[in-house]
This record gives sequence, C-alpha cells and structure tokens, in this order.
Amino acid sequence: MTMFAILTVFKKEMVDHLRDGRSILISMIYPLMGPLLLGLMFLFVGGGMRVNEGAPLVVPILHIESAPDLVGFLESRGATMQPIAGDARGLVSGGRVAFALMLPAQPSATPESPLAVRLITNPARVDSMVATSRVVELLNTYQHETLEGRLRAAGLSAEMMSVLNIEQENIGRAAGPAVILLTMIPPFLIFTLFTGGVHVALDATSGERERGSFETLMMNPVQLYQVLTGKLGATMVFTLMALGVQAVAFWVMLHTVPQESLGLIAPPSMLRLLVVVSVCLPLVVLAAALQLLISAVTRSVKEAQTYLGLLPLVPGLAGMVLALAPVRAQPMLAAIPTFGQTLLMGQLVRSEAVSAVFIGITAVATLAAVALLLLLGFRLYEREEILFPQ
Amino acid sequence: MIEVRGLAKSFSDLRVVEDVSFVARDGEITGLIGPNGAGKTTMFRLICTVLRPNCGTTLIDGIDSQKDPLAARRRLGVLPDLRALYTRLTAREHLRYFGELHGIERHELDTRIAELVATLRMEDFIDRRAKGFSRGQQMKVALGRALVHRPHNIMLDEPTNGLDVATSRAVRDLLRRLRAEGRCILLTSHIMQEVGALADRIIVLADGHIVLQGAPAELRRATGLNDLEEIFMAVTQEAAAQPALAAGE
Repeated sequence: MTMFAILTVFKKEMVDHLRDGRSILISMIYPLMGPLLLGLMFLFVGGGMRVNEGAPLVVPILHIESAPDLVGFLESRGATMQPIAGDARGLVSGGRVAFALMLPAQPSATPESPLAVRLITNPARVDSMVATSRVVELLNTYQHETLEGRLRAAGLSAEMMSVLNIEQENIGRAAGPAVILLTMIPPFLIFTLFTGGVHVALDATSGERERGSFETLMMNPVQLYQVLTGKLGATMVFTLMALGVQAVAFWVMLHTVPQESLGLIAPPSMLRLLVVVSVCLPLVVLAAALQLLISAVTRSVKEAQTYLGLLPLVPGLAGMVLALAPVRAQPMLAAIPTFGQTLLMGQLVRSEAVSAVFIGITAVATLAAVALLLLLGFRLYEREEILFPQ
Repeated sequence: MIEVRGLAKSFSDLRVVEDVSFVARDGEITGLIGPNGAGKTTMFRLICTVLRPNCGTTLIDGIDSQKDPLAARRRLGVLPDLRALYTRLTAREHLRYFGELHGIERHELDTRIAELVATLRMEDFIDRRAKGFSRGQQMKVALGRALVHRPHNIMLDEPTNGLDVATSRAVRDLLRRLRAEGRCILLTSHIMQEVGALADRIIVLADGHIVLQGAPAELRRATGLNDLEEIFMAVTQEAAAQPALAAGE
C-alpha cells in the first residue's frame, strides 16, 4: 500500500501537470535559452576570432603619407592599408573601425629620428583583439629589423641590443574563448535544475493548499510522507525533462556551430553530456526538496514564487564565478552541494579527467543534505495550519 | 457510528471547540447546525482527523481516530465545504484518484465509478475536465469522491450550498437512500428547512459548545417552540448567557 499510494499521487501529479501546456512551454523555454545564447556567443566571439586570424589584416591608418617605409613594410607582410581622416579616437570608440594606427602628421625630421606611432584600440570589441595583437607584432618586427639594419650598417652586432630573448609558449588549449564559453554550460544546467520542475512543486504544494484540496487529500487513508514523496517524484521528473531538453539542445548547438568557432576543442559527445546530467541527479532531488521546503514555510503561492524565483540565483551565480575565476577541484569543495557539481560539470564539458572520489563526495554530501531537507520539510508539513488556505 | 467524547480544540488562546460529546448513529442522519464561527467546520476537521484535538476522543465505528487515523479515514467519506477539484482532471479521474488512494482495485473501482455516475447522474460530464464545471457538477464530483470507497460513515459540510432546486432535491434523495442502507450520516447546513426535513437528530453548536441536541420532537418539547428556525435562534442567542442545555441524552 505504501508504494501504491506514492505511485497514485505521483501518477495524478504527472497527468495533471502534463496537461498544463502553458507551464510546460514556459518551463521548457528557459532550458533552450542557455544553448541558444551560448550558440550565439560561439558564433560572434569565436567567429570574430576566426575572421581576425584568417582574414587579411586591414589597418585603419591616419596620416599614411608620414611613414612610407613603415607602410611599405606592413604591406609587404600582407596588411592592407585603410587610410582614415579626422578623429581616430572617435572612429574607434564609435565602432566605425576596430582599431586605428595613428602616425604623426609630419614625417620625421631625419630618417634616424624615432617615429611616434599610436595604436588606438578598444578591448571591449572582440574583433579588435587579434587584429591589434597582429599589428603590434608587425610593428615590433619592423622595429627589430630596422634596428638590426642600422646596427649592421654601423658595424655592430644586433645581439648587443638584446638582453632577453623572450619566447612565449602557450601550453593551454588554443581554443581560448571557447573554453570560457564551455565553462558557462554548468551554470545554465544548475539554473535549469532549480527552474525545470518549480511549477509542479509550487502547484502540488502551495497551490493545492491555497485551493483547499490538500485538506481533502489528507482526509484519505494516506500518510503525509506518501503524498509528499509522490509530489516530489513528479517534480523531479519534470526537472529531469527540462534538464534533458537542455542537454540535447547544448549537444545540437555544439554540433551545429561552425567547428572553427570552438577552436581546437572537440564538442562534448552525447555520452559525455549524459554523464553531466547523471552527475546532476542528486541535485535534482535537492532542488525538489528545497522547493518543497520553501512551499511549506510560505503562506501563499505568490510568496513561494518570490522565494523560488531567487533560489536558482545562489548556485547559479557560484557557477558563473567559477566560469570566470576557475577553482581547483578539491575534495573539500565537493562537499558543498551545487558547488561540487558545478566544478565536476565544468571538468566534464571541457573533456578533462574527473576523479571518482570527487564524484562520490559530491553525491554523498548532496544526498545527505537532501535527507536533512526532507526531514525538515516533512516535519513542517505535519503542522495543522499547513493544510488549510491561509 | 461516529462517537465524539469530550472533544476540545484551541488555536493559540482561542477556544474553538470545548468539551463536545455526541453520537451520530448508523441508519440516521445527524444534523450539526450553528451560527457562523460556532465551530462546526473545526468539529468536522477533528472528526476526519486532519486536526488533532487538545483533548477528547473520536471513535469511528469503534476505532479511535487518534490512535489509528488511517483506519478511521477508511471508514469515513467526507464532503468538505470547499469542493476543491483539480481543474485539469476529468470527473472520472477524480473518482479514480480518490478510489485508488483507498486502495480499491482497478476492476472494482470501474464498477463503483459506473454506479456513482448513474446514481449522481454524471453521464454528461464524467469525462470532461473539471475546469468550468457548474457548482452542481462540482458538488456531484466531490460527493462521488466522498462515496467512491463506500464508506459506512458520511460527513457532509453544507451539501446543498449554492445548488439549484432540482440538484438539492436529488442530493436529499440520495442522503435518504444512504440512510436507508444503514449508513451513518453527519451533515452541517445553514438551511433549517433542510435539516428539519432530513435529520433524525439535531445538534446545535454555539461558541464551541453543544447548546442543544436531540430528535426534532425532543427539541420542540425542550424549547416549547415548533419551528426549527425559531428554536435555533432562541438557543443560539441564549447560548452566551446560559449553560449548555441538553435535551434527550
């Protein structure tokens, strides 16, 4: 009878909420927003980088006539000059050009005099980042080669002018921004965990109480925990549905955007995304338990909605911070529900190795938190006043 | 049979029900009447175990509802004042849901639902979702929900509240049939005519106390008044000044 009663409540909640088309539609729109947003970011950010690296370098240049040698050098290295006139700063800040190379209005008095060049850049524009670095590299090369020629003409060795011979080697993934964008997947998943089934949790607890049907339900030969477990189960299924939709949408997005946008990173496979979702499973129960608990301590659906709307922000923001300021996955952090999973999911989507111990700690710690929340929630639902509309 | 012994319930400092005792017998309709705020709904909730009394006991067919609330609930069918239907479920799904909560098997449940559909004349809307149901349709579904497990004891809070004449008459006929089957029926109503026409015994509740109880004839004898409404007005207005007055038992 115990399982039968739980299944009866679960079945009713599933049928009831599957017919709530509007709520389902809204709850499924959010999971699609994450992949859509990230896809656009891949296209624009990754695309911008790609164009800069592959396309001919166009150099917006002021007073082109002042330094024919430099211009000749740049053109010999494949750059195309785009003469500009007027306020170079205004052109860059207004977005008319990605950057600008300002030469002095008059040529140098003597060929040996230093040429004052100014590079106007705007780091806020992704498309200017690579182009600017390419121009700086060309200017440095021009300076080095010109200096070398002059020293050689004077009978000196160019090496005398070098104190350091700096070489930079990037051992990280060459994908750059793509890695950062992939790290944004876990916060989106966490948001979905706390929003996917919230309409079911709300309606099945606060809503039922507000309509007065919770009292009618408890006039039947069922235990409170059976009713709540059935409702919890339905909430979890709807959360999993939203999570599944989002995982598939992420997979579709990652396999639809041009591969150059992802840099050298291989998009996570469906299997890997399924592993990501399974890492979230304890969090699905945690989210449902928290929603149940919040519904128990609030007096109306409206009040519960307010709190439940804020709930995803806490773990979601932690994930966003991790995306921008990565933290090393330490066992102690695994014990913090949602934080541990965010770290794990980040490693998984970036195709990094994950520790089984870390997975175990996150699952056990989260399930322990779930047990405590459910215990507290069930106790709160035993209060008499919770059955009746406030 | 529903037997209430010395039941009392307070919310914070407010005493809502105080030392209430009565018996609702099998094969009888017991009417519980009282002015607004007399404690009728609280009494209902105490009997059907959704509230816990501060003291006193309720026996449902001899089962102490505090000691074994689930067994007591199995023997009770309750029509609450708030019909509280699920708007996205059909009338049939309501009956099935509550039947399943009582552990009734599928085939047996199908038979009972078919019987209820015929008894309550729900053929026209049994497979329609509850959203947009008229008050009469809502009441029929709620009544069917209370009867689907064939309870021996039936409690009805304002069963004809807001119903048209024809539906009210159909409900009254049904209650008489259930009484004839030997069921114990406890109902509250604000309609004195209805209580007078249906009830074998009447309990008048005021300020959480029973101020008068007995068969209609006994109430008339005790008060010297003929009309139930007059009796009701007289005893409830005097309730604050007089100690509980019991007729019959």
